[in-house]
Parts: sequence; C-alpha cells; structure tokens
Amino acid sequence: MKYFLTLWLLCPVLLLADQATVSFNNDVLPILTKAGCSTGSCHAKTDGQNGFALTVFSYDPSADYREIVYNARGRRIFPAAPEHSLLLLKATNEIPHEGEKRFDKDSEFYRTIHQWIKEGAPRSIPDEPVLESLSVSPPEAIYQKNESKSIHITAHYSDGHTRDVTHLAEFQSNEEAFAKVDHHGKVTAGTVPGDGVIIVRYLDKVSSTRVTIPPDQTLPDSAYQNLSQNNEIDRYAQERFKTLGLLPSETCSDSEFIRRATLDVIGRLPEEQAVRTFLKDDSKDKRSRYIDHLLAPENNGAYGDYWATKWGDLLRPNTQRVGVKPVYLLDDWIREKFRTNTSWDLIVSELLTASGSTHQYGPVAVIRDKREPADMAEFISQLFLGVRLNCARCHHHPSEKWGQDDYYSLAAFFSSMKRKGQGISAPISGLPEYWWFQPGGTVQHPVTEVVLTPKAPAGPEFPDIPENRDPREVLVEWMTSPENPFFARAIVNRVWGELFGRGIVHPVDDFRESNPATNEALLDWLASDFAQNGFDQKHLIRTILNSRLYQQSSLPNETNASDLKNFSRSYRRRLPAEVLLDSISHLVRKPESFQGLIPGSTAMQQWNHKMPSDFLDAFGRPDSSAAPPCERDGSSSVVQALHLMNATGLQKKFSGSPWLNELEKKEAGEIVDSIYLGLLSRMPDKAERDIGINYLKREEIKLRESLEDLLWSIINSAEFVHNH
Amino acid sequence: MPPVNTGFVADLGTIYCLNTLRKKNRHTPFNCEGLGRRDFIQTGLGALGGLGITDLLKYQAQAGVKSNDTKCIMIWLDGGPSHYETFDPKPDAPSEIRGEFGSIPTTVPGVHFCDTMPKLAKSFDNFSVVRSIAHNQNNHGAGNHYLMTGSPTPVPVGCGAFVTFHPSFGSVVSRERQAPHGMPAYISAPRISRSGGPNFLGAEHAPFVISDNPDSKNFRVRDVTIPTEIAEGRARSRADLRRSLDNLKRITDQQAEDPAVAFDEYYTRGFDIITSTEAQEAFDISKEDEKVRESYGRNDFGQRLLLARRLTEVGVPFVTVYNGGWDDHRTLFESYKKGKIEKVDTGVAALIQDLANRGSLDNTLVLLLGEFGRTPKINKDAGRDHWSFAMSVLMAGAGIPGGQVVGATDVKGYYANDNVYAPEDFAASLYTKMGIDHQMILRDTAGRPIQLVNNGRLIKEIFA
Repeated sequence: MKYFLTLWLLCPVLLLADQATVSFNNDVLPILTKAGCSTGSCHAKTDGQNGFALTVFSYDPSADYREIVYNARGRRIFPAAPEHSLLLLKATNEIPHEGEKRFDKDSEFYRTIHQWIKEGAPRSIPDEPVLESLSVSPPEAIYQKNESKSIHITAHYSDGHTRDVTHLAEFQSNEEAFAKVDHHGKVTAGTVPGDGVIIVRYLDKVSSTRVTIPPDQTLPDSAYQNLSQNNEIDRYAQERFKTLGLLPSETCSDSEFIRRATLDVIGRLPEEQAVRTFLKDDSKDKRSRYIDHLLAPENNGAYGDYWATKWGDLLRPNTQRVGVKPVYLLDDWIREKFRTNTSWDLIVSELLTASGSTHQYGPVAVIRDKREPADMAEFISQLFLGVRLNCARCHHHPSEKWGQDDYYSLAAFFSSMKRKGQGISAPISGLPEYWWFQPGGTVQHPVTEVVLTPKAPAGPEFPDIPENRDPREVLVEWMTSPENPFFARAIVNRVWGELFGRGIVHPVDDFRESNPATNEALLDWLASDFAQNGFDQKHLIRTILNSRLYQQSSLPNETNASDLKNFSRSYRRRLPAEVLLDSISHLVRKPESFQGLIPGSTAMQQWNHKMPSDFLDAFGRPDSSAAPPCERDGSSSVVQALHLMNATGLQKKFSGSPWLNELEKKEAGEIVDSIYLGLLSRMPDKAERDIGINYLKREEIKLRESLEDLLWSIINSAEFVHNH
Repeated sequence: MPPVNTGFVADLGTIYCLNTLRKKNRHTPFNCEGLGRRDFIQTGLGALGGLGITDLLKYQAQAGVKSNDTKCIMIWLDGGPSHYETFDPKPDAPSEIRGEFGSIPTTVPGVHFCDTMPKLAKSFDNFSVVRSIAHNQNNHGAGNHYLMTGSPTPVPVGCGAFVTFHPSFGSVVSRERQAPHGMPAYISAPRISRSGGPNFLGAEHAPFVISDNPDSKNFRVRDVTIPTEIAEGRARSRADLRRSLDNLKRITDQQAEDPAVAFDEYYTRGFDIITSTEAQEAFDISKEDEKVRESYGRNDFGQRLLLARRLTEVGVPFVTVYNGGWDDHRTLFESYKKGKIEKVDTGVAALIQDLANRGSLDNTLVLLLGEFGRTPKINKDAGRDHWSFAMSVLMAGAGIPGGQVVGATDVKGYYANDNVYAPEDFAASLYTKMGIDHQMILRDTAGRPIQLVNNGRLIKEIFA
C-alpha cells in the first residue's frame, strides 16, 4: 500500500507535464461546477461533504487542486490507471456516491478529467491562457410568449482565443415569471409582458442577457393624452407605460390620498378634523399644500420618529453585543438627524467617520458592532451604495462582477482604526469602548495575501492617501460627490421603496446588472435631482408625493392587474407594527406603556426591539438578536388576526377609552361618521351609515357595548389594517 | 461498502475510511459513512463489506424522510444543567468532582442516575439517555444557538448574547409541518428560547408564545379565545357587524397579489381556532383530570409540560417548554436542593408516563437538555462552570428504546469519550424522527443555499 501511495504522490510532478493539454483551471474546474460538485450545497459547503471540500464557484483554484491531488493521501486521482481515481469512481457512482451519478463514463466530462489525470494531473499547462471575459449571444432578444430560444456563451482568453463554453456555463433566471432557463441554456419566455434577465456564470465571470416579452397590444397615444403629468416622474413613468402597454390606474380619492400620504410621511392617521377640512376644501392645489404641511416643522417630531424607526432597523446593533448605552445614544442621534432633516451626505459622513467613546457619541456604536474592516465594508456598501458585497467575502458574487478584490479593497478604507476598551457582548459591553484613527493598518486579500489599496466597487483606487489622513474621509468624499454612480441612486430607491412598497430596483439594496431597475430613466432622474438639491430627503419625498404616480388608486384597470413592479397602480401594504399600535392608542386616547420609556411615549419612540410587546411581536419587528441590517416582514398572519380580534390589551383600551366616552354623548349618525373619519379617513356611505346606526340603536344593549363593537369591527377590517 | 470484486478498489475504500478517521472534522473522530470509532474497530479492517453507506440509507428509509405525524416536546433547561447532578453521576470520583449528591440505581441493572432524580430513575424503562453529546461552544449565547438550531454560530458570540444565524428546530418544523384547526405549528412557553426564532424563514415561523402560567387559576392562552368580558352572543354579533362593514374592494385577480385577500385567509383561520372545540379544549388545561394535574406537579413548569402534551395531542407538531435558572456558578447544591431539580424529575417522569398511558408516546418525541454540561471540579463558590465537552440528553418516545444509555464520559466525567455525538447529530436525529430531511437545502433571504444540518449523522441507537 505504501508503495502505491508514494508513486501517486510523485506522479503529478514526473509525468509529461510539458506535453499536457488539459488545463486544471480552464477545463477541469468548470466541469466540477457544472456537474454540481463545487456548489454551496455539496462539496463546497464550509466543511465540504463527507471529507471532500472544494471552494464554492472554484474561487480558490489552488486550494481545489491541493484537495483533489494531494489531500486524502492522493487517492482521489491515480494517474497510472485514471479510471481507478476516486474522483471519477465517485462522480460516475461506480463507488456509491451520496450525490449519485454526476456524469456518465461515456461523456465529454469523463474523458476530459480522465485525460487530465492521465497527463499527470498538472496544476497548469504550458502557456495557459487566462479567462478574461464572457460574452452572451444574443445579449438581448425579444421573445413571444412561451417562445424558446437557445443562448450561446463564449469565453474570451488572454491570448486572444475564444471558446464556446455553453455546455459548461451555468444559467439562472432573475424572475421565472418572465423567463425560465434550463441547464443547457435554453431560454423559455413566460406569459407576462415585461423584461427578464438570464444570468450566465462561468468560473469567476458573470454576464447576462435580457429577455423582453412585448405586450399583447400597446395602447394608442390617445389613451395617455388625458393623464396629468405633475412632474418629471410622471413623464418618465408614462413613457414606460406606453412601451409596456399599461394604462395607469385612476387617481385616488381625496380620502385615500390624505390617509396614504399621512401614513407614508409621518406614520400616523390623519386626525378626524384634518380629514373633514381637507375633504371640504375645493381648491386645486390642496394636495400639494397638504404635502407641504406634512413636511413642515410642526410635524418634525412625528416625521423624525417614523423615519428613525426605519433606519433603526437597518443600523441598530444588538444591545447584548455593543451595550445598552451605545445603542440608546445611536438611536438618539438617528432621531435627531431626521427631526432636523440633515442632508443625506452629511448623515452618512458622520456615521462613517465616527470616532470617540461609545458612551458619548452614538455613531461609534456602529463601528463597535462592525468591528472588522470587512464587516464595515459589507455593511456600508449594502446600506449606502446598494451593492451587496457579502458574497464576495468568501467567493466572487454569483450574479455580479464583484469579487474578493472589491470586497477587501473597500475594507481597506477601514483598516487604520484602533480601539481600546472592553470589547463586545454582555456583560463586558456595558463599559465604553473608544475608537480612533491611527495610521498604519492594512488589509490583505485572503487568498493571494496581497496588500490591497483602498478602492470602492467601480470606484478609483486611492494609492496616495497621506499617512495622517483618515482613509474613511476619502471614501466619504468619493461616495457623496454628486457624480457618484451609487450613492444617490441607493437612497432615492430606498425612500421610493418606503413610499410605494417596492423599489424601482428591488430588493432596494441589491443593485446589479442582473437585477435591473424597472425604470432606469426615472431612477436616474430622481437621483440627479436629489443630488442637485443638496441630498435633501424632504425635497425627494415632496417631489414623489406630488406626482400623479403616487396618487394613483390601488384598484387595477383592464391592463394592469398583473403589474407588480412598474407602479401602474398603487400597491396595497399592511401597516407596520408600530404604526398600527400607535394609531389605535392615539385614536382611543389610551397610550400604551413601554418599558424604559416615559409615560405617553409611542411605539415609534422605542429605541430597541428587546422591549416586550405582544402586539409588536405579532405584527413583526426585527429580531432584536439578529445582526443589522434587519428586514421587516410585511405580510399578514393568523397570529395578527387573533391578536387584533382577541387581545385583552386592546379590549382594555376600548373599555377605558376617553374617546369613546365622548362619542357616547353624540347622536348615532355622528358616532359612525367620527369612527369612519378617524380610522378610515372617509365618510361612511349610506348603507354603512345605516348599518352602524342600527347596530348602535339595538334594543336592550348598552350603547357603550355597541360602540366598542363598531370600533372593533373597523379595526379588524382590511381597510383599516392596510395602506391602500 | 457494497460488494466490490476488485480487491484494489476495496483497498481504496480502506484508506478513505482511515483518512477521514484522522481528519479533524469537528471534535469527533468519525468516518465518512457515519460509523463510530468503535463500530469501525468492531467491524474490522478486513470486513468492510459490512456496515456502510447503505446502512445509513437504510436507517434513513426506516426512520423517516417521509411524512409522519410525530410531534416533539423539547424541554429546555436554560443555563446548562449539570450532567453530574442529573444523569451522569460519578460516585467514585474524588469529592471535589463527585459533589454532594449520591447516586441511585435505575430500573436497568448497573445504570445509576444522580439521586436527585428518583422518579426518572424508576421510569428509565421509558426513555434513553445520551451521555456523550459534546461540542466546543462554551458560552450561553453560542451554546444555545448550537443546540437550538444544530448549527454553530459562524462568528464568536459572547456569553450573554441572544443571537440568531440559523432557523431553530421549531421554526423548521413549522415550515415543514402543519397544525390542524388553524393552530400555530410551533409553540413556546413561557417565552421564546434564545436562538429559538425563525431567522430567514420569516415571522410566520416564529413560535407562538404562551407566557401565562397554566398553574394559575385564571390561566388562559392569550388571543386564541374571546376575552372573558365578551359574551358569546356579543362575539357573534360583532363578527357579523365586521363582515358587513369590511368593505375594501378585494382585487380578485390572483396575479394582483392583493394583500387584503391573504388577510381574509388569516381571518378565516383565526375564526377556525376560536370556534374549534378541539383547539379550545387543548388550551383549557382546567379540563384535565385533577389527579393527572397533580402527577405533573402543581407548579408552572409541571403544568406547562401538561399543556404541551395537550397541544401535541391535538396536532401541534413542536412545543418548547423553557425553564431558566440552570447556570449555577455558585451554590449549585443548595440551588438543586431547593426544588428545581425535583420539579424536573416529577414533571418529566409524569409527562413520559402519561404519554405512555395514553398511547401517545410512540408518536411524541420528548427531549430534555440545556446548552452544555458543567465543569467537573467544583469551584470556590460551590458551583460548577460551563462545560461543553460533556452533556447528558434525555430522549423519549417516537420509537426510542427505553432503558438505554448511549455513550459515556470518562471515569471522572470530564470528556465524552465513548460513542461521542455532536449537536449536528442531535439535530439530524431530531429532524429524522420528525420526518424532515436533515440534508435539505434551504435558501436564505439572499437566495444562498444553506443545508439544514451540516454533516449530521444519526444517533443510531435511538433508531433501533
């Protein structure tokens, strides 16, 4: 046995290396990927599978080579008799393989690997070219519904030669409703008009092709003639609708508008009196004036709390990790920034260049949480650039051009930070930690170990940062310059997502070539308008709310029921947990009490999610133990239905409600009106009013009981629970 | 290995196994086919035609990876109960290790438990004890995560941490299995355990928490019943009123994905729970026979176990009963003597016996554990500190043999050293008992493939 082992180990060195024809990098690795061996669910898991570990997407070819040729005592390959190599015996299931048969003995894949082993399994072959790029043919195409076409992938190498690698490439559709793709690159269009993208991956290169399914019919220009264009948003949106054959929904009613706008800007329901005034007003510019009112200083407190709640989800670390006081201070800082409408470039700049004590300055909590340069890089690129680099921590991004170079070069901006103090996790995080810039740190590429120059994704390299300059400032300068390709687009898209329930790029922080914007021109315009107006978020919100697009009805017409991403109608959304709870508490004038907050505080004033609340748990808030950025789940659930129907806390609010005490003194019709105006921002129609009055006037039943039931019924209706 | 005729290839197999035996894969020396070191030696180098991957597949085929109706009651002793003072006493160890308690015989000759557990010792015929689960996450945050999800934390976390990186057992069961009568599939009482959340599976698979004390007179499960002040007639009339006023126009075209349509479905399910006699009975613990209630112990913990039995019997597939206060760095013996271990002994023995009496034990998996064991040497404060290198886990029901000890620690109880299993193996076994494929690939929110349990192998003794 020993004799064999020695021989096998020597073989790769001795055999025929200079006559070899099969390249490990260019020929063998793609097979391992295509056959599914080096996928994240099999041998490329962190610990590999059954003792055989490959790198995912072959990001580290040398490690894969070692694993195949040297590890496991070299018995994975057997150059003297390649067909006895474990690599082939397992892949063909000749020796039982948990992953079953990956390819046949009589296949091109088998022959290639067999030949490579026979040639001595060399690490490289003489003058081996390097893969430089991929091209997809065709790069875009128009498909009829259900039509299938094959795409072809060409690899371009450093020595100028090209090769058809369609049979080795991997394919993935970004949205199967528009196009499906099989293992061989055959694309089949769906039945919904619109655009889809097919992502093509081969080794560490990614490319894509766009699939366009034209609408069954476009509408004549006259269909769009009477649509108002309140600003540039409508111009860009309507152009897109014309190409897609979509007719936007009608404009929403005044009631829908005031409810929607108030909920979206300050997270509250409009007051009964404000609704009455608004509905009575018949001036033409009342919606614009109302938007100005929402954004005016008198609403700064509510506006700040509402937007700080959103950003709290994204920024707030686990109090158990960084300590209670730092989280409290960070929360306070975020609130202040939104209350005063600090410009976005300044907010980000302060957050990214923070230093000092976690017990004195809120933003330091973020770097205490994201304490390694790589953690910080990943965090800020997703939040502020809309680029998800996290895949590239370990391997190149599977559907974008980003690789480990990009990831660790961005991290290099954070390499010169020093810290002193107690570290993380309770109870030691109770004490302060100090962070400051001190020249001298570097970041290395984890595989090549090359020291990296600070560089943002698709940004310039900064090799000449003076030693005494904090590289983070250089990064912020680059980010916040008006020409930055990511910064303004990322925040504009995020705010848009909050106001429409969906980003123009969706998910809102996942910008990539393979995840295109549904309206590129619109996003461009919004971003440049935002940058030109001093990164002023209120300016952005004002512009969006004034558009006809924002003021559409949620009811579809004949052309747009299936439109879920082009904004041709308003999309209904369930109210967030805090908004629902605060709205109910405010209406019935029975404030909720929260642990650690002064009496009368609202749910939106909570500074972390560890404070117990059955209501907020039921309606979904981020897991306070998860690492930020955290997502919200906006869907409904049976737990929510049960809670709204039966929670004793809510029942207590009704029975002790000063609002209901007052209503009791009124006449039945007025009561119904007040409840409708207060909860739904509209007057009841005739039938609803009659039903309400009859219910309140039931014989032998106390008015108070009926009043509570009426309130309960509306609170448990879809119209109350949703923003529509 | 299947029969292979060329001796050459069989030799290849030999090296393969030897090699993986030496591979430092976690802390546990195991070969690729899921056999322990002892099995391997017993099987012998020359007899590789014996046990192997095919047997593993056979276990799996027998044990699940098909739908089944097994439910799970997971009893979680947070903080880490001592293995010495429960199922793994070391009466012959020096006194600074042995501790203040003695040991008592069980129904199985030669097997002793700590004398804190007389009732469990008497009913050992009903369950197995695994004495050899070991891992390397020696603080609460990470240990909780490992034993509550089957996955170690990808980054080091601190002791006080509540962290989540992977879905908990209950959340995965909730995703894979459904409960009848509109009931939630994952219930946790009286709170969610650390790392007991759904992570990327989403809020719909978070546990439904029953925080109130079922031992109290006014106990009711929140939200699932109409508030007591609302009379039945009133509940009906306001439900009718609601129906007549819920007038938002629904967008019936399915492609429009109107959330108001989903909202209606959840209200239908909500009314199902409220009106289902089975569900309401299960929640109403006062319906239980007084003798049975007594047998579990009239305390919050005992009654929670009883509630768990009632819930699983109507079809809730996963119930966690959480019990805190097991982190005895000081005065461990006093703390145990004050009754907390007695509550566990009484409650768990009663639960298992009750399930057996009712014929439900065969399809109910009962698990009793914490995140790790405790240090062998008693510290200066008369306590024991964290010790992840050995812990004992009780496993009952769902076909698990009674009276069986799996694995062992060394003579002083320092290290699990015989037939050692890892938390991944515990997780794989739990899922397999529940009919869930532990190797399934989930997708996180970024679409990244994540294996449910990484390299888990079954604790084969509980699949006998």
